[in-house]
Amino acid sequence: MSRDTGEKRPAGRGTQPGVVRPFLLTEGRVVAPGAELPMETQVVATTEGLRQLGALAFERRAIVEACGVPQSLAELAVRLGLHLNVVRVLAGDLRAGRFLTVHEPRAAINTDVDVLRRVINGLRAIPTAAGRA
Amino acid sequence: MDFEAGPGGLPAEPAPAPMPVKMVIAGGFGVGKTTAVAAVSDVPPLTTEAAITEVAAGVDDVSMTPNKTTTTVAMDFGSVMLDPTLKLYLFGTPGQDRFGFMWDDVTEGALGALVVVDSRRLEDCFPAVDYFERRTMPFAVAVNRFADTVPHPLDAVREALDVESEVPVIEFDARDSNSVRDSLIIVLELALARAMAAA
Repeated sequence: MSRDTGEKRPAGRGTQPGVVRPFLLTEGRVVAPGAELPMETQVVATTEGLRQLGALAFERRAIVEACGVPQSLAELAVRLGLHLNVVRVLAGDLRAGRFLTVHEPRAAINTDVDVLRRVINGLRAIPTAAGRA
Repeated sequence: MDFEAGPGGLPAEPAPAPMPVKMVIAGGFGVGKTTAVAAVSDVPPLTTEAAITEVAAGVDDVSMTPNKTTTTVAMDFGSVMLDPTLKLYLFGTPGQDRFGFMWDDVTEGALGALVVVDSRRLEDCFPAVDYFERRTMPFAVAVNRFADTVPHPLDAVREALDVESEVPVIEFDARDSNSVRDSLIIVLELALARAMAAA
């Protein structure tokens, strides 16, 4: 059952906690390659999820708590010191349990003319070190 | 835990999620990718682990899918809130000098990429240039202006990289937010031109 996928990580990389093998948290489950949620996918706690926090423990609870503020899977992984792919699995579980809503980026967003224009205009307007350009 | 529900009060309704979009900053090791991310990011760059697929070169690992292994590498990223409903993420591809990486996990759905180049080590950017050409992802080559180098003629860089005429080859300063921002806009304008041509 609990396959030790953690074993395949390169040893001695000196990254963060690692007291618990990462995929122990997911009971050995991993996301099928190609089926991963993009790392910029936004996750937000549901009102119900925040209300039901007591039903959760440890990492799952921490994820829902943190998602009181919308953030990406990548940010969540950093914030909680969890492996990105562990967050992907747990966020999927929490979505199924209606603790979280998961907002995947729109399909074909990278060829959407309106979106591209909005990003260009948004970048032009950002204040930079030299003040507003 | 730095998020507190607050005593006696349930947290307010969570704010709506912004629409996430992303761009990729690629290039060889130590070429200024993280510096460029930091120059425009609202927050100091964070480091997470990305899964990358490595096409094994002459290495057989029977326990895995033939010829492919997945490893995790550290990856830096930042973000810019462009407006309350639109958030741009900037992901630096892992700075590996090994060849044969596939960065699909990072690049899937990206609007475009900036390939950062050190003109003294042009060859370091070849894997990135090859990758984005194969993916037909809009990208620009940005030669980082290092303080201690003689500027390289951009025509020579273009010729050495042999990129298509459509691909912008520009000079930029990874430490300068205006310069990074303008470079990203050049990539986006290429993406926009392509999207409009395809429409």
